[in-house]
Amino acid sequence: MLKRSLAITALLVSALALRAAAVAVEGFTLIKSLGGIDEYRLDANGLSVLLLSDRTAPVATFMVTYRVGSRNEVTGTTGATHLLEHLMFKGSPNFNRAKGNSIDQFLESVGAQYNATTYLDRTNYYAQVGSEHLEGYMAIESDRLRNLWLHEDDRRPEMTVVRNEFEIGENDPTQALDKEIFAAAFQAHPYHHSTIGWRSDIEKVSIEKLREFYDTFYWPDNATATIIGDFDPAAALALVKKYYGAYPKAPKPIPQVYTEEPEQTGPRRVMVQRAGELGTVGVSWKSPAGSHPDYPALQVLGMIMGSGKTSRFYRALTDKNLTTSVSSEPGFFHDPSLFQVYANLAPNATHEAVEKIILDEVTKVKTDGVTDAEVATALGKIRASTAYGRDGSFAIASGINEDIATGDWTLFITLDVALAKVTATDVKRVANLYLDHNKSTTGWFVPIVAPAAPAAAK
Amino acid sequence: MKHLLPLLTLTFTLASATAALAGVADNAVRQKINGLDVVSIKTGVKDVVTIRGTLAAGDSRSPDSNVALADLAAGLLDKGTTTRDKFAIAKVLGDAGATINFGTNASALNINAKCLRADLPMVLGLIAEQLRTPAFSPEEFAKLKKQVAGLMKRSLEDTDFRANTSYVRAVYPLGHPNRDASPEEYLAAVDKATLDEVKAFHKEFYGPAAMKLVIVGDVDSAAVSAELGKVFAGWTGGSAQARPARAGHVDAAREQDVFMADKTNVTLLWGQATQLRYGEPDALALRLGTAALGSGFTGRLMANVRDKEGLTYGIGSFISNDTFVDGDWRISANFAPDLLSKGIASTKRQLTEWHDKGITAHELESNKGKFVGSFKLGLSTTGGMAGQILNTLNRDLPLSFIDEFGGKINALTLEQVNGSIKKHLNPEAMIMIKAGTIPGAVTK
Repeated sequence: MLKRSLAITALLVSALALRAAAVAVEGFTLIKSLGGIDEYRLDANGLSVLLLSDRTAPVATFMVTYRVGSRNEVTGTTGATHLLEHLMFKGSPNFNRAKGNSIDQFLESVGAQYNATTYLDRTNYYAQVGSEHLEGYMAIESDRLRNLWLHEDDRRPEMTVVRNEFEIGENDPTQALDKEIFAAAFQAHPYHHSTIGWRSDIEKVSIEKLREFYDTFYWPDNATATIIGDFDPAAALALVKKYYGAYPKAPKPIPQVYTEEPEQTGPRRVMVQRAGELGTVGVSWKSPAGSHPDYPALQVLGMIMGSGKTSRFYRALTDKNLTTSVSSEPGFFHDPSLFQVYANLAPNATHEAVEKIILDEVTKVKTDGVTDAEVATALGKIRASTAYGRDGSFAIASGINEDIATGDWTLFITLDVALAKVTATDVKRVANLYLDHNKSTTGWFVPIVAPAAPAAAK
Repeated sequence: MKHLLPLLTLTFTLASATAALAGVADNAVRQKINGLDVVSIKTGVKDVVTIRGTLAAGDSRSPDSNVALADLAAGLLDKGTTTRDKFAIAKVLGDAGATINFGTNASALNINAKCLRADLPMVLGLIAEQLRTPAFSPEEFAKLKKQVAGLMKRSLEDTDFRANTSYVRAVYPLGHPNRDASPEEYLAAVDKATLDEVKAFHKEFYGPAAMKLVIVGDVDSAAVSAELGKVFAGWTGGSAQARPARAGHVDAAREQDVFMADKTNVTLLWGQATQLRYGEPDALALRLGTAALGSGFTGRLMANVRDKEGLTYGIGSFISNDTFVDGDWRISANFAPDLLSKGIASTKRQLTEWHDKGITAHELESNKGKFVGSFKLGLSTTGGMAGQILNTLNRDLPLSFIDEFGGKINALTLEQVNGSIKKHLNPEAMIMIKAGTIPGAVTK
């Protein structure tokens, strides 16, 4: 459930232009081709398919992205998307542990790297396998799209598993602070709650509710299957048709989230106090969706402020021994989210002083802008990250996954093009437009000196 | 300045346009360049190059008088050289989107770098410059001491970190490279360290003697050789890796609690020293047997303690710290404080049965597939391949080991695997560490 790293997900258009051309396969409609990636639609049920064949290593990644995440949850079902993701590994009548052919048994026996993740806007299931095992995985992955067992006997122990995942996250004060900042910043929109959900919802959501969730969102026309790596495109499409073609479209329209966050008209503050060693200051401002035309300039702004030793926050804070680290980036999501700055305090630094410096640096950017050299450095990092993001089939599929979640897979290509055009003027403009004090939420983690340890070694 | 001609000793001479996943040894170019052990290999990736390396200047080389010197020496490498300051270094790397990171583990200074093909000469030159001629600025040293102290204090909030530090201190004897200093000892050492001590450490341990460098991706091995010959010309010194006496076994089970307030999850570590290095007889057999207990979702620990009983989000067993010296075997798990005792009891049941009865023929075959398949996948990225090659070198194994790995795994028998479990592990003499808000340990 990590946020997208800056710019690791895009490909160089030029680098991919020489890849295999789109193929014509009966039952599929070619929707578009961009940067070497071909998008098809399975005519029978609307499943989207993205293909990028790269046969330099005998490895392939198959990933299915469902356009459902914690933004589709409401009070009482927070965390349901994620809990359902866990239950997706419990088997079906066709593939299960008793038969010896469960998804875990198959994938682990061939050494696959596999898992599933849930985030605000999407849920994805994936495996990177030796390419000879692509069909075996696709057979099981497609089966659980509609044939999943959803048993109360599985929910009960899995609920405590997920609750422990929640507890592990709560161990980290900064994660707890992030939840508080989002909850304060978003009052109406479902980004209010984190993907893991509220503890009481994790514990009490019923198997019937989870079934309802599954029957609402797990349909081929709410999914994209992405295949990257060593495969023949026509053969791969034939497999997709074989394993997914029998499913119908969703019987009802997939519900869309229509709640919009009301305009924020004043600064908000939160505080987390618990045992700990060093404090944290987080300052967030409302920022546009990942697909918004201003997103690239905000990404460059984030890098100028917080990426590496040349960044403004490093010079103003870390290099002065006021913080141990500072990060700064806009959220890359389907709906408007937050541009976030997190500063981890060094010993003896105060929250007040660090927060003031963060705001002073923001004011400087808003007043004086940034330099062309700073923009050039940021773009240099982005260009290289683009290339690094195609080092292996899984890296590519993961990048595309986040673009699908944001609403447009072609951002995988077009975002880089837009980033390359960002100027210092753009950066100053978006800083003034979005880093508005009245649309900010500031949070502090304030550590409480822990009580002395009463238990010695036994 | 006039550069010395590189002295090249060609060990492997076959370079190919693309390294197939099978045949790493045949496709790699391994050379001795100015004393450095260098492996380069071209893969199918476009533009990307990953560099990984080690030098025998890890934490264990710090003297008893100051356990932080290795860390502080590594920390000064990116704080400027005699010819440019840290901001100039950051600017040249940033403009290229390249990264160079230095850090230490118990046995080595680790070098991790990534760049585009066109920037490889610049990055190799900068790595050499940073290793050879750090500025040792008093001002930067003062800042660094505060930074590393801050990072250590932040780590003290982490149950995983606290459990691991206590575990390796309990498992490994004084003087063993894998034994960490205590956080208190480390913080005191940082505080009292002098720049002269760091300079002396650098002079003694930095040099080509045991340095290994692996360069993978869109590379031209001949050009790499020429560049390294140039930038490392005339560098001497360094130290061979230490090969200390092996860790012993404790004679009875021990438990230690690390109390931390306000934690909703407890980290559990449970295990013992193996007295084995990765490449030694029994090591692969023990690894495979360990995977049957605690690797992935089909391992016995996840299948039972998590899936059936719902007691944990994550539990596994593995062998670690055995690349340079003999390592340790451990179970790692997370438990909510109120499920801790149940979790430990369930884990103990699995551990005991596994140790007493061994793994099954089915588990043997399934885990052979897992090992061979995941090893192959791991070679499909530049980072994965560079890491595997570097580990192979540091394990004192030939590069052909990578190509022979599948055969070695498939040749393992049930008797070898179960025999290795019995021979090297004893659940009755393991060390258990719990870190977190442990029930019953809270002062009201």
